[in-house]
Amino acid sequence: MHLITSFALLLQPSVEDILLEKQRLQHNYEFLSYGLIAAWLILVVYVLMMVSREQKLKKEIAGLRAMLEEKH
Amino acid sequence: MRDKIMYGLGALAILILINDIIHIMGLPDEVNQGAIFKIIFFHVPVAITALTAAAVALIASVLFLVTRNFFYDALAVAVTEVGLAFLAANLVTGSLWGRVIWGVYWAWDARLTSALVCWLLYAGYLMLRHAIEEPTQRATFAAVFSIFAFIDVPIVIFSIKWWRTQHPQPVFWGGGSFPSDWLPYFLWNMLAMLLIGAVLTMTRLRQEESQRELDYLRRLAHSM
Repeated sequence: MHLITSFALLLQPSVEDILLEKQRLQHNYEFLSYGLIAAWLILVVYVLMMVSREQKLKKEIAGLRAMLEEKH
Repeated sequence: MRDKIMYGLGALAILILINDIIHIMGLPDEVNQGAIFKIIFFHVPVAITALTAAAVALIASVLFLVTRNFFYDALAVAVTEVGLAFLAANLVTGSLWGRVIWGVYWAWDARLTSALVCWLLYAGYLMLRHAIEEPTQRATFAAVFSIFAFIDVPIVIFSIKWWRTQHPQPVFWGGGSFPSDWLPYFLWNMLAMLLIGAVLTMTRLRQEESQRELDYLRRLAHSM
């Protein structure tokens, strides 16, 4: 009986094991957040590029229209 | 009307995503991989959206070559550009997952390499368009290039079946073990990503129309 209790105590995780597991979980969450931030950042940057291109196109079209009307 | 549909679809996609993200964050960590497994809710939907975009670009390119209708050329460029952004998001999320599970950001296995080649091919398609001035020649060359680039898409999809890869087998077919009660959240995310892809394509398509109007006005100004 005493032998079984000692063996069970040996199987219990040590403080170091718990700290390592905690570190692993934090590392996991850290990289999950990096992944999500990076994915959304790429899409947001693309949308911003699109908005800026749209504004540039509108400005150029308006400028050319004004120039053509002046020539007429 | 088209603007209203676009804004409506965009708002719907954002609402689905917000609701889905709240639910996904509440799910327990996966037994073997832990929290990082949840990246699959974004990694796979963005990949499927990117490959759907490639398929649409292929159809639009073939239709352009058959009909010579410039609408299809505009659709091909719009959908390719959007697909490229989604594929970039796929590569980055996959790389970060690899860092945790494999210990490295990148491995030159068949799936990763073919996906990177796919990204480079479609980036090349956009660069080719910038290099050719004449619109008909540009559209024809780009359509042929897009059809050629699509050859890589089945290689990306089936690379994990055809070769022994470090990349895991699919979790939904081929002996995967995706928890069945997580599937609805995955499918909602899939729908949201496809909706975002569609809205971005419609926006980009409108810009192509504006670009054509601008080209017409420039020609008119030169001829005066």
